[in-house]
Amino acid sequence: MDNLNRRPRIGVYICHCGINIGSVVDVPGLVEYASRLPGVVVAREYTYMCSDPGQNLVKEDIKNEGLNRVIVASCSPRMHEPTFRKTLKEAGLNPYYLEMANIREQCSWVHPDKEQATHKARKLVEAAVVKAMLLEALEEKEVDVIPACLVIGAGIAGIQASLDIADAGFKVYLVEKTPSVGGRMAQLDKTFPTLDCSACILTPKMVDVANHPNIELMSYSQLESIEGYVGNFKATVRKKARFVNFNTCTGCGVCAENCRLAGRIPNEFDENIGMRGAIYLPFPQAVPAKYTIDPERCLQLTKGKCGKEGPACAAACGPGSIDFEQEDELVEIEIGTVIVATGYDVFDCTRKPEYGWEDIDNVMTGLEFERLVSASGPTGGHVILGRDKKGEGGYEPKKVAFIHCVGSRDKSVGNEYCSRVCCMYLAKQAHLVRDKLPDADIAVFYMDVRAFGKGFEEFYDRVRREGVRYIRGNPSEIYRTGEDHTVVIKVEDTLTGTPMEYEADLVVLGVGLEPRRDVREIIDLFKLSQSTDGFFMEAHPKLRPVDTASDGVYLAGCCQGPKDIPDTVAQAKGAASSALILMAYGKVKVEALVSVVSPDECRGCGFCMEVCPFGAIELVDQNRMGNIVQVAQVNEALCKGCGSCAAACLSGAIQPRSFKDEQILPQIAVLGVRI
Amino acid sequence: MSAEEFEPNIVAFLCNWCSYAGADLAGTSRTQYLPNVKIIRVMCSGRVNPLFLVNALQQGADGVLISGCHPGDCHYMEGNYYARRRYTLMHKLLEHVGVDPGRVNMSWVSASEGAKFKDVVEDTVTKAKEAGPMEQFRRRRINW
Amino acid sequence: MVDESKLREKAAEVLAREDVRRLIGWKRGTYGFEAAPCVIKDASEAEALIFDPTCVQNPASFITLEEKKPVPRGQEADTRKIAVMVKGCDSRAIVQQLVEKAYDRDHVIVLGIPCLGVIDRRKAAALFGDVASQVSAKVDAEKVAVDVGGDVKTVDRKDILMDKCLRCRYPNPLVYDELLADEVEKWAGDEFADVGEFEGQSPEEKWAFWEEQFSKCIRCYSCRNVCPMCYCVECVVTKLQPQWTRRATDISENTVYHIQRAWHLAGRCIECMECQRVCPVDIPIMTLNRKLTRDVKEMFEYEPGVDVEAQPLLASYNPQDPEDFIM
Ligand SMILES: Cc1cc2nc3c(=O)[nH]c(=O)nc-3n(C[C@H](O)[C@H](O)[C@H](O)COP(=O)(O)OP(=O)(O)OC[C@H]3O[C@@H](n4cnc5c(N)ncnc54)[C@H](O)[C@@H]3O)c2cc1C
Repeated sequence: MDNLNRRPRIGVYICHCGINIGSVVDVPGLVEYASRLPGVVVAREYTYMCSDPGQNLVKEDIKNEGLNRVIVASCSPRMHEPTFRKTLKEAGLNPYYLEMANIREQCSWVHPDKEQATHKARKLVEAAVVKAMLLEALEEKEVDVIPACLVIGAGIAGIQASLDIADAGFKVYLVEKTPSVGGRMAQLDKTFPTLDCSACILTPKMVDVANHPNIELMSYSQLESIEGYVGNFKATVRKKARFVNFNTCTGCGVCAENCRLAGRIPNEFDENIGMRGAIYLPFPQAVPAKYTIDPERCLQLTKGKCGKEGPACAAACGPGSIDFEQEDELVEIEIGTVIVATGYDVFDCTRKPEYGWEDIDNVMTGLEFERLVSASGPTGGHVILGRDKKGEGGYEPKKVAFIHCVGSRDKSVGNEYCSRVCCMYLAKQAHLVRDKLPDADIAVFYMDVRAFGKGFEEFYDRVRREGVRYIRGNPSEIYRTGEDHTVVIKVEDTLTGTPMEYEADLVVLGVGLEPRRDVREIIDLFKLSQSTDGFFMEAHPKLRPVDTASDGVYLAGCCQGPKDIPDTVAQAKGAASSALILMAYGKVKVEALVSVVSPDECRGCGFCMEVCPFGAIELVDQNRMGNIVQVAQVNEALCKGCGSCAAACLSGAIQPRSFKDEQILPQIAVLGVRI
Repeated sequence: MSAEEFEPNIVAFLCNWCSYAGADLAGTSRTQYLPNVKIIRVMCSGRVNPLFLVNALQQGADGVLISGCHPGDCHYMEGNYYARRRYTLMHKLLEHVGVDPGRVNMSWVSASEGAKFKDVVEDTVTKAKEAGPMEQFRRRRINW
Repeated sequence: MVDESKLREKAAEVLAREDVRRLIGWKRGTYGFEAAPCVIKDASEAEALIFDPTCVQNPASFITLEEKKPVPRGQEADTRKIAVMVKGCDSRAIVQQLVEKAYDRDHVIVLGIPCLGVIDRRKAAALFGDVASQVSAKVDAEKVAVDVGGDVKTVDRKDILMDKCLRCRYPNPLVYDELLADEVEKWAGDEFADVGEFEGQSPEEKWAFWEEQFSKCIRCYSCRNVCPMCYCVECVVTKLQPQWTRRATDISENTVYHIQRAWHLAGRCIECMECQRVCPVDIPIMTLNRKLTRDVKEMFEYEPGVDVEAQPLLASYNPQDPEDFIM
């Protein structure tokens, strides 16, 4: 508040910018005009204000003339505002006492007429002067960044980001909702286009996150609440009860073998085509290799009673790890940064009933098919359908059809976007069928084939050469005819214009990627925005693809939009590096141009709070003449200074610094007058 | 004053991230446009209180322009959506009072649309010219 | 129609409660066609309460005033509840006040009164001339029976009821703790024909109309003061720093004042018409409000004061909002 109360002593500096300004705008005339404006004590011109001698002019005048406001009329403030702010600072003046008049981009470069350009320049300088009178000194604050990162979701995105940050020497809390890390990638068999075995490349990383000294893996856990701001978040994580002692469980699996419900509960990890018991490990390579009791299915937990002799799992467990009394645990953590990597769900085929997925058991989703062909899946990787409960019988399909774009590029189900992976995973799956069933007839029904990635086109070519038929057409209906397994696909081959009814005994739907069904939880916790497709919205579609509007919160993987594994990993590394930048520097600047509330004028309606995209405003109690009333309060660490709050406020009680009503209205008064 | 010689005065509120940058680009690419428009920089079109525009008309501006990022591109995610609602309504209200609808203009101009900015300026000026000098509730200046 | 003795009984009962501070309702005016709004503290005063078509004022305007009364030094704030009687239209003000967090729902006890219409003082004056005696009235679905100092005259609804009543869509309160009479059947709709008609004019015609109207304004701010939605601690209109409008009552400042007032009610006006009713110089203020109400409804499918859970109109948006006027 150095010179807030002193009368404004304004210095105006007009830049020639070589001849860029000077050749059009009458600079000496402008200096003369400026010198006569109220509050102006010096007005000067210089060839290049941004040069050292130019800046020195300002510095010296600040010292010798006691300037307390500086106006530089030159190029766009988007160019040199930081430069001149620094100049003021170096001369001991608060940098926010600077105002710029853009007489290059807005005058000399666009208006060839000297008279007109000069006239407009005069106006712009005058507007800058009236605003400058009302500028306030602002404080630039820095806050410390807690050197720890919370990563939510342990799919490949979360795993990769965690490993990078941990390797850089920072603490990571990796929170995963399900009993095991790995996410969708763990469900996949092979990965396009190279056909690496998914488990082979993923499991080492899964083991790494579990063992890394800097990573605290919180599996079977969920974020309960988060508060604070960049650099200083406080989060509460709910570690759900597994009803198994985490420290003593050896993962031997005897409990699961003895479970009375063994093999009778659909296993979510196997997309419900395989079975598990009430105590289970989702898949053999699960990390951590600790068993979990499903509280919704376990007889002991739901009915309070399991068989005559009591729970068989507990009886069988050598180390005595089963603990039916275990309760959820709430853990509080403090972190400086957050990476959201919650991934995706696949399209829910019940929303496309014409494809019969719900009723016909040999119509399956791509993800179900991944489990079917996976060596660790329910059939041990054999493409066998229609097995009984004991896992016996069944048949090998002879005609297999793959359908593209199920739930993607389809306005009728509300998904206009392309899911980016289906073309390739269907090609991969077609290849796997060809591999395992050399005699099968394989057809792929597509709208377009988008093979845009590295090695994609080559792979697609290879699959076609392997005798996979690509038929261009979007099936209208899929139904079963008779008693046998034959499924009819009604489709028009749009290249020849012939309607056809293709008969298959296995249909794989190329389901698209959708936001997690429980995405709201995360949105509400972080006040994230969603793009129209429902995925989390990045701060800028091109330049800030891993940032969110909330500083210190980054996105990685499919939660931001559909992508394949290489893109997921790249984004995860990007998110990790963004988080690392903050943590490595250890400090973060908070915006100085934030909004301020005049609590005595606030009526507490909360309009500002509703419009604030950053959740920076809350209503707090205040005593007003003996009554407790609610008034808005700005969290300066969260506010970005956009000023939306001010336009929503009816009484003008909240104002963005440097863009207050009282600072803008005089500008309007100067620029509005027609002469 | 005849219609030919009347040069309208326009006050424009441009958001820092898209439209102001678009105007800068018009400058850097030496795109000539009419000098009638005078720009006030704000951080976001969502900052612009619709009463600013009424104030500008009262001060004597013959037209106003608010310009922000295209929907979905707002630097602050949502500011332009709020602005759009407010201005659509304010536009209607002023029209009801008898203000020529051509005086109130809004546009989406991105940082890459220097050429579009020129067009927007041209349009705004043309419309204000058609509307003629803003006299309806102009504040008379009293020289004491 | 509400049984007044039951109404008084109920009011007395509510006022007798320990957690109730005041009750806002109506009592007979000293003269003329409008009852007087009243704030009573004691059950014994309940006898004065009335409800009939002269009860035109919107008592919801007083809740915010009562709620936030300054507390003298050394005293405790009285946080007991305020009871308020409301008609259908009045109740919308309460809904909107709740949307805007003016007070907590449990700070008010709303006694709802289904209503068949209230008298427009100006229309009444045209029929009866100046009246110096007390007036009471009865209304049914067809007629209004007006009792001027014992002289009962029956008139057509449209000739004497407020315009808002002739197009009333919410005769029954939308929020209440108790209804003091049976709900009545809705008799009208609102097509905003008046707005459409006004819009048919040219800008010159419109301005000519407003220039005349606004020139009359004496800036008494009655329209603002009576408005149930205008309860800012500090109103921008009279603020000095910054000063948006000067105090002069010339056409420039008056116009800007009226635009500001209307604008601040965009998506908030609940059409109780109080602003227009109290205007001492007969400015048709609702013509501006109704334009916005109609547009808000058409463009944003939004109606203020009907849903406590609603988001405030201008503090929300829809990515698909219309934008045909945007370049
Ligand atoms: C059928 C199919 C086949 C595919 N084949 C290939 C292929 O061959 N090659 C290829 O490159 N890509 C393929 N993909 C794409 C690939 O699956 C994705 O790119 C990748 O899995 C994305 O990883 P992710 O970490 O972003 O998300 P996910 O794998 O979905 O991981 C997200 C993790 O977050 C957890 N989580 C979610 N919400 C929360 C919460 N609120 N709190 C805590 N944890 C939470 C989830 O449990 C999960 O573990 C395929 C996709 C499908 C559908």
